[in-house]
Order: sequence, then C-alpha cells, then structure tokens
Amino acid sequence: MLGLPLAFASPLVLFALAALPALWWLLRLVPPRPRRVRFPPTRILMDIAPKEETPSHSPWWLTALRLLLAALIILAMAGPMWNPPAATGGARGPVLLLLDDGWPSAATFDQRQRVASEIIASAESAGRAVAFVPTSRPVVDIALETPGTVRERLRSIDPLPHTPDRAALLPALTKFLAAQPEAEVVWLADGTDTGRTKAFIDQLAPLVTGRRVTVFDTGLAQPLALAAATNTAGGFTAKVLRPQGGPAQVGRVRALDGRGLPLGESAFAFEAGKTEADVRFDLPVEIRNEITRLDIAGERSAGAVQLIDSRWARRTVGVVSGASTDVAQPLLSPTYYLGRALEPFADIRTVEGASPSDAILRFIESRVPMIVLTDVGTVTPAARQALNRFIDGGGILLRFAGTRLAGAQGDDLVPVRLRRGGRQLGGALSWETPQALSPFGRESPFADIAVPADVRVRRQVLAEPDGLLADKTWAQLADGTPLVTAEKRGQGLLVLFHITADTAWSDLPLSGAFVDMLKRIAGLSAAGKPGAEGVAGAPGQARAAERVAPTRVLDGYGAFIAPPATAKPIPSDWRDAATFDAPPGFYGPAEGTLAVNVLTADERLKPLDAGPLSATIERYRLGEPVDLRTPLLVAALLLLLADGLIVFLIAGGLARLIGPRRRVAASLILAAAALTLMGGHDADAQTRRNQDRPVISTGNATDDAAIRATQSTRLAYVVTGSREIDEVSRAGLEGLTRFLSARTALEPSQPQGVDIARDELAFFPVLYWPVVAGAEEPSPQALLKLDAYMKQGGMVIFDTRDAITARPGQASPAQVTLRRILAGLDIPELEAVPRDHVLARAFFILREFPGRYTDGVTWVEAIPPATDEETARPARASDSVSPIIITANDLASAWAVDRQGNPLLPVQGEARQRELAFRFGVNIVMYALTGNYKTDQVHVPALLERLGN
Amino acid sequence: MFDLANAESREDHASRLMRDGEMLAAALPRLVLEARRVAATVVHGLHGRRRAGTGENFWQFRRFMNGEPAARIDWRRSGRDRNLYVREREWEAAHTVWIWPDCSASMQFVSPLAWETKRDRCLVIAFALAEIMVRGGERVGIPGIMRPTASRAIIDRMADALLALPDLATANLPPRAPVSRLSEVVILSDCLVPAETFGEEIRGLAATGSRGHVLQINDPIEETFPYKGRVEFEELEDKLTITAGRAETWRDDYIARLAAHRAALRRDCDTRGWSFAVHRTDQPPATAILALHQRMGPGSRDLGPAAGGA
Repeated sequence: MLGLPLAFASPLVLFALAALPALWWLLRLVPPRPRRVRFPPTRILMDIAPKEETPSHSPWWLTALRLLLAALIILAMAGPMWNPPAATGGARGPVLLLLDDGWPSAATFDQRQRVASEIIASAESAGRAVAFVPTSRPVVDIALETPGTVRERLRSIDPLPHTPDRAALLPALTKFLAAQPEAEVVWLADGTDTGRTKAFIDQLAPLVTGRRVTVFDTGLAQPLALAAATNTAGGFTAKVLRPQGGPAQVGRVRALDGRGLPLGESAFAFEAGKTEADVRFDLPVEIRNEITRLDIAGERSAGAVQLIDSRWARRTVGVVSGASTDVAQPLLSPTYYLGRALEPFADIRTVEGASPSDAILRFIESRVPMIVLTDVGTVTPAARQALNRFIDGGGILLRFAGTRLAGAQGDDLVPVRLRRGGRQLGGALSWETPQALSPFGRESPFADIAVPADVRVRRQVLAEPDGLLADKTWAQLADGTPLVTAEKRGQGLLVLFHITADTAWSDLPLSGAFVDMLKRIAGLSAAGKPGAEGVAGAPGQARAAERVAPTRVLDGYGAFIAPPATAKPIPSDWRDAATFDAPPGFYGPAEGTLAVNVLTADERLKPLDAGPLSATIERYRLGEPVDLRTPLLVAALLLLLADGLIVFLIAGGLARLIGPRRRVAASLILAAAALTLMGGHDADAQTRRNQDRPVISTGNATDDAAIRATQSTRLAYVVTGSREIDEVSRAGLEGLTRFLSARTALEPSQPQGVDIARDELAFFPVLYWPVVAGAEEPSPQALLKLDAYMKQGGMVIFDTRDAITARPGQASPAQVTLRRILAGLDIPELEAVPRDHVLARAFFILREFPGRYTDGVTWVEAIPPATDEETARPARASDSVSPIIITANDLASAWAVDRQGNPLLPVQGEARQRELAFRFGVNIVMYALTGNYKTDQVHVPALLERLGN
Repeated sequence: MFDLANAESREDHASRLMRDGEMLAAALPRLVLEARRVAATVVHGLHGRRRAGTGENFWQFRRFMNGEPAARIDWRRSGRDRNLYVREREWEAAHTVWIWPDCSASMQFVSPLAWETKRDRCLVIAFALAEIMVRGGERVGIPGIMRPTASRAIIDRMADALLALPDLATANLPPRAPVSRLSEVVILSDCLVPAETFGEEIRGLAATGSRGHVLQINDPIEETFPYKGRVEFEELEDKLTITAGRAETWRDDYIARLAAHRAALRRDCDTRGWSFAVHRTDQPPATAILALHQRMGPGSRDLGPAAGGA
C-alpha cells in the first residue's frame, strides 16, 4: 500500500474515513459542555426569555482531536498490519508459484523461502491449489499440488549454483497456463538479469495477460557476483558485480589456494550508482598462480565465487634473442614484439649480457616452463642437450625463424626438417607475392582464432616436404607452406614459427592473432605436463570431444560439495557459464583441472525488468508482521483521555477541583512534581557520582600510583629484587606503621615498595633501603633522582643489616656495596649520632638505636659543633633534616610483624630491644616529618619565664 | 427514578444542613469578635422615657393615693413628714428589636470579588446590631428562634440560638412570629425570594403595626454579572439550573431584572413604612450598621410609621 509495508485485514472499513467530514460538521455543531457556576440569583435569570443564540463552537483543535480519534478507531477496525505476510491477491483458481532458486537468490534464500511459505499459507487458507516451479531446475510438466505438499517441497530445496535458465520453462508454462485459465501467477524473482531474462519476460507476457501477476522483486540485499578474473602483469584483478546501482557499498574479496587457505584479501568499493567494482590482488606471480578460488567475503552464493584454473596462471617465459643486444632501436627488436604479446598472460624474463647458450642454461636451471628463442641459430652442445632434456621433461620451446636459424647447420631443435636459406616472397627479386594466412585447421590449437585478413608474410623458412609435415603444421600460408609447425617430444613441445618475431618477415607480430597464438601455446604448458591436457594441442590428435567429469562443484551457497548426480561431464574446452547439468566447479583430473564459473568473463548483471508483464511489483518484506490494531487503539484511548481532560479543563474543572486561591499552590506543586520526575535521573546520577569519587581512575598507572601515594602519608622501602628481603622490609614498615598508629598522632597507610629507577620518590618522607651485599648499583639516572630526593628533604635509611657479622675496621660486603652506591651521591659529612642529637629526642628519649642488632653504629649528617650556649641544651640539630641515616642494625627485621601483629623475627637481645627498635623507628619518622621542631621545645622554659614576667 | 432522586435530594439537604451548621459553628467565634469590634465603633446613647413607669431609676415621689396597695409606700420618705409617699421610677419599657439574619443556602455564597460569604456578613451585622441595641437598653430577639432579651451576652445568646436550631435558621424570611406593635423588625437577607413572597411577608409582619428595616446583602458578582461564554447557572436552594449559551448577552437583561426586583422590594417596604437598603459584601460592615442604626434612631419611633423608609 503506497509503497509502505502496510496491509489491512478489512480494507472496506476504510471507507468510513469518508464520513469524517460529516463528523467534523457535527462536532462543530455540538457545543462544549458549559461551565457550571453557582449563582444565587439564578431565579432572576429564569425570567429572562430564552434568547436565540448561536451556539458557542468547540475550538477547532478540539474538533480535530476528536476527528483524529475517530480516524484512529476506523483505522484500527480495518485491521492494519505492518510488514504483512505476503499473500495471494485473487480468490479463485490455482496459484502458479515461480521461485528463482539460482545463485542470485542464495544469499537471501531463507527470506525467499519464508515469503514463499507465506504465499502457500495464503493459498491454503483460500483453499487453492499451488503449482510450484523452481526456475533453476529443468521442468517437464507443471502439476498442481496441495499447499501442504508444496510446502514440503519448498522446505527441501536448496538454491542451485547456476543462473536460472527461465526461458527453458516456457514450454511447460505455456502448457500449464493454457490448461489453467484462472491461474494466478506469483513470481518470487531474484531481481537479477544476466541477459537471458528479457526474452523470457517478453514471451511470458502474452501468456499472462488478463491474469493477476505478482512479482516480488526488490527488498532483499542485492546479490553480488564475481566475474572476469584476470591474472594481469601487475596483479590479479576481478570485477565485483551487482544488478542495481544502489548506494555505495564496500566489501572484501578473498583469494584462496587449492587447499582453501587464504592467500590474500582485497577490498572493493562500489561507487553509488555503479554496478561494477574492481578488485585487485597485488601478489607475487608465484602466489597468484596458486589462487584457485576468489570469493566475496560474507556473500553466500555461488555467484560470489570465481574459480581459477591453470588457464589463469601466468607463465614465466624466458626469451632468448639471437640478435645482438641493440637497444638503440627497440621497435626493431624481436623481443619487443614478443614482450608486448606475452605480457597479458605471462611474465617475461630475459638475460642481459649473456650469450644465448648461457641464457638458455640459466633459464633451464631456474625451471622456466617455456623458453622462446628468437632467431637463435646454433647453441653450444651443452645448451642443446639441456634443451632436449627440458623438452623431454615437459617444457615448451618456442622458436622463431630468422636469418641465423635459416643459416644454421645441423640444428635438430626444430619440429620439421628445414630447407636452409629461406624463402623470399615478393620484392624485386621474386615473382611471388606476399602470402596471407590460410584458415587454421580444425585440429590446430589455433582453430578458434580468427584469421587476420591483413597479415602478409613476406619471408619464411621452408620445411622439407615430408609425410608428417601436414600433421605437424598448426598454421600455414595461403599457398600451403607451413607457418607454424610443432612437434611433441617426450612430455614437452617444440614449436617453430617459420617467421621472425619482429616485423621484418611478416606483419603477424603486429596483429592480435599473434597474441592469441602465443597465449594458446603458453596455455599448452599450463598443466606443467603438457601431455595431460596439452594432448589436445598435440599434433596428429583430435582435440575436440574430450570430456571431463566434475570432481568438485559448488553448491548454491558457494561451498564445495561432491558432484551431485545431475552433474554431467563436460567437454574439456568448455568456456560457457555453468548450467544445471554443468554446475560450477572443478572438472577433470587434479593435475589439469578445468574451472567452470557461474558467470562468464563478459557477463554483467542487470536489474530484472518485469515491466512487460504488467504485474504488481511487490517487495520482499523482511520484518515480522506487526499487528497495528493495539497501538492504534491505545493511541485512540489516550486521545479519548486527553479529550476528556480538555473538556474538563474547558468547563473550569481545574478551578473547581483546587479552588481559586489554591490554584497557584497547586500549579507550584505540579511544577515541583514535574521537576522531581525530570530531575530524578540527575539526582541519581549525582548520587552515583558521589559514591564513585573515591575510586577515581585516571587510566594511567603512574598517575594512579601517584594518587594512591599522595592520599595519605606512607612509609616506603626500596625494592631490592630479593623477595625475602623485600618481604621483611614490607613487614618491618608495616610493623612500624602499626606502632606509629598506636602510639603517635601519625596514622600512615600501608607501606609501599618503590623502584628507585622507575617510581616517583617525592611522595614519601622516609625511604628504607636495605643494602644487599653485591647488589648492582642503581643507574645514573636513578642516582640523580635519589640525589634530588635527598636534596629536597627526603630521608633515606641505608641499612647494611650486618652488625652481627661485620668485623670492626674491615668493610663488610654490604658496606662495600653501600659505598659504591653512595659514591654516586652527594653525601654530606657524617657522624655517629651524638647523644644530644634530635634523633634521640624527637619522640622518645633514646640512648641507643637498636634494630635486630644493637652493635651497629648509626650515622647521620654531622651537625655543627655545639656552641657554648647550646651545650646546656638537651637536644641539638642542624637547620635541616639529615638526608641520610646509615645503620647496620637491621631495623626492618626488628620491626617486622605478621598480619596479627606478632613479631616475625627474633632480636639479638631481650624483648625490650624490639620496643626500643620501634621507638627508634618512631623517632626517625618524627624527625623526618618535624625536623628540628623538637629542639625548639627546649626554649619552652625560657618562653614561659618571659611570659610570666 | 423521580422518587429516588427526590430521596437523594432530601438526604442531600439534611447532610448539607448539618454541614452548614458545622460551618456556622466554626465561623461564629470569628464573627462574634468581628461583631463586637464593629459594635464598639457605634455608640448608642441610653434613652430614658422621661415618664414614670416600671424602671430602675428614680423618677419622683408622689403622694400616696387611697386605694393603692400599701406595699408601694416608700416608708423611708414617708417617715420624714406626715404624708405618705410613693416612690415612682422612670418608665423604662425596653424597645424590642427583632433581628432576622438570613442563613439560607443562598447566603452561603462568596464570589472572588467579595471578602466573605453573605451569611458571614449578615451574622456580623446582626450580632453587632444586637450588641448595640442591647447596650442601648433595647431587647433583642430572633423571630421564632429566640425570645427578646436584654442580656449583656446577647451575641452569645444569639449564636447559641442559631446553632441550636439550624433547620429553622435556614429560612429566607422570618416565620410569622408574634411581633408586637411597638417592636422593630430588622431583616438581613439577600432577598432573592420572589418579590410577591417578600411583599406578603412584609405585609404579615407589618400588620401589627411594627416598624421594620430590610437590608439586602448582595455579593458584588450578583450585581455585575461578569460571566462570558457558555455557562450553566446553578441556584443553591432549589437546585434550579439554567444554561446561558453566551452569558455576556444576558448581562443587560439580568441587571435590569435585578433593578426591577429591588424596586418591587423597595415599594413593598415603602408602603408599609419600612426602610430598605442594599449592602454589598465588598464594603465594610460598619457603614451598613451605622446607616441602619441611624434609621432606627430614637426619634424615628415617635414620628410614627410614616417616618420609616431609607
């Protein structure tokens, strides 16, 4: 209906829409409900004589609303259906259901089957018989069946891989339609015409005049096809086709080898409105020759597959010229014409700067399948032997005559015995005129090449007449003298052109036939073993009528299957498109397969034009049918409610409902409610955001670590790489952290291990560095970082942890390592912690600084010697915090605790020593955090004294 | 169907009465205060009768005349000489004022143009007037509801009486209570009853020779009739409804009819020597009371019925 996928169950109801104008008029007449007011002196009003009043009209929009309401109800009553199931149009007679089941329908065959089954269901509900005709299959007689049977058949068929030959159905259709004058025709077409459909439609048109004809055409995805695969010099090209120039479309084509492994993939892009797109594989020629199958990725149809056999393979042809390498005049060089002629299907190799014999040997060595010798006379015995072996082994030797060949003696690399000296036709010294070519013999490989009429041969080498000469001749001149002779030797082939490869002796190299002839000869080498398929071209044998059986064929979806029973052997020179009997696939033995494709190289897709049928053109509907009655009725109901509300409001209902004075309040409440509803989401979002805040992630590990490290104060240790030591460091700082939390106002978070080289150090007030004996010193960059850290107020505790093993006056290994580390740092003068150092006073008053051991000396930055005034003070400090503390007492081991808070390692002395070690730790942290603040505390008595005065 | 509707309307009526009574009770304290405030602004001079009679105040001693009951002798005065004296008091026969506040359903109406319902205004005026009258020595009653009394708590008495008999109090016009010749009747009502009914009522009340004053209390909307468009008008007492297709075209007719109605009322009053005045609820009550009081002034009584009217 109007191009929309909309149908009505009872369209007659729609005529009620015509009553809407009348309804409009009526609605305009009926006034709205009056406003009801209380009015005490109504009695007085009763006395007023009723007036002739023009009734107050309803507002137009209210009337429109009511009309819409009525229209909606009428529409709903008509039973509208979106995406209605396909249905037959008529009511009587059988239904002829044509289903295109060729490759173009394969990709969307499910949908087509569904539409077909909908039509069958429609026929079934009308009690009509169905004649079901899949157009890709040969049909002899069309029979009527019950819808149930047809449905079974429909379910059982699969798309076929060839283009449907609809014209073949015409006799059966004619017969059927003549017998069934009432039959309705439904054609589920695939929308694709490869050029053979127009005739079918033109002939079908008179048969179906006067009948109800429905053609399902568009609506499904267009089929894509591959054709015209060509192995050119630069790469492998193919054309992607589609029947209609729709919008721009892109896709990919895959190239697969014989085992189904992908060799390459290439993109194609249809421009909008174009029906062809090129696809090109830039692959090395060896890999290109391996391609046996191209297919469009994602397109399940046999048409989207192009099978490649050896005919597509590009040969490598070695060209050896007997002429001196004169490149000054390339147009006169025989290799130029050869190159131009071979280029479309072969890759040419030449050897520069080598003698012909060397070149031949090199080509044979590199296993070139075909060698062309242009006017090469004598070759060295070695080269001759190699060439003989080459031919016996299956190679093709193509020779062109010339003055050197004509003059050579004892050259046995020719198919026929030659009369030396050659023959000049035409010219001043000859009575004879240049000869044209005679038509190629039927058994010649050139049989189907058109003979160029304008080619004249002026000179040639002649063969000795001989009984076998005729058999060996592939082409001859009009006077019967041979132009091309060939001989099969061993498994190879020896071909001689009795003319030169340049234009000196003839015009042939300038004609298109020359290219075809060379191509045909090169094709004989195609199979690698010319004997297998090349027998066709071998002299003296009939080459037609050889039939090859299918080995692997495509199904409709483009997948390889075993040949079905209907597939028949085909002639080996089959060049047509696939048919029912000859499905696309590979035919013949494995070594010389023949590929049959769905589309021939020059076939193009066109959209199906069903115009002459004067049929109803339908689209395939993809969606599920949707009954629109419910939404329409709901809409009508909503409109009814809206109408009621409007009438209520017009009659002053709101005022009556909420009273005049509360109106403002009520509208405020309404507005607030609306705002709440609208704002609800935002409020939720905000709540969520607030909850989310603690787990901000920047997505950057470094930043995350920085955020974590700066969220609270943490102690840190240097990761040494030794798991045991790192674990003790961690546990030690953990223990110290707990101790700090329990005893002081400082509550640090979990300690963190840092990598000097990688991590940012600035976040940590104290860095505990257990020195591992023999550890590698940090990189210069890391030392620079560490230096900066210490200079900017950081404190590093170096712990050699060897107080118990160190010998006095002798550097322990850990001390040696420490010295190496410190050598790279700018370290101030150190001294053993003096008694009055603030480190001994920062929180606890300490006399010694034990860790796990007590013997080690603890070193800090030397503070200036005490002045006289300071001697009386209990604590001294320099102006800054000592950037370094060196100890050997293994502090972390003393501090280390497990999860429950129990000590992990024993200490050297009594349990009290651990407590003192913790106290020392507290003092270190306090010293690091507060600096010389404690020394200022000593001024308190003096300050108090001054305040007292 | 009809019976059902009737029954329903009766039911409805009863429940409405109860509701009205409750509303009245709820509104009364406010109205009483308002009435007292208004009454305080109006001074009513005490007026003696200037002749001997039953009264509180001494008027004169006169000689005892034979045949008089001996109990009348004022022995204290008589003891001062040989004659017997009788103490005479000034005659203070109180003036009876019957005030009728119309509390019918139609009075329960307030439009957006007015401050309060007509009934509230009517009660304020009634209470204030009663207070003033009682202060002036008059006796005040409500016809058929409350006997005349000169109680100082006249307002409370009236309110109690109105509350006690809500059914009676919803009548438009006072019942035919015995009204003495010398009493005055004040009718506070919206006077929306048909003019004939009203005239008959006035005739009945004036038949005994009593004087009267009619104050028609109207909502401003009842005078301006500002309606437009299709409006259905509903009467509150008899549930009359009428639909005006275009109310704005009815306005002139209505105003003319209202004027005619008032003219008829005024004519009825004038012929009986009653006064007739109109009060709108968007005006302060004090003006109405002052005017009313003026008309009820002491002099007016002696001028006789002919002096009545506004």
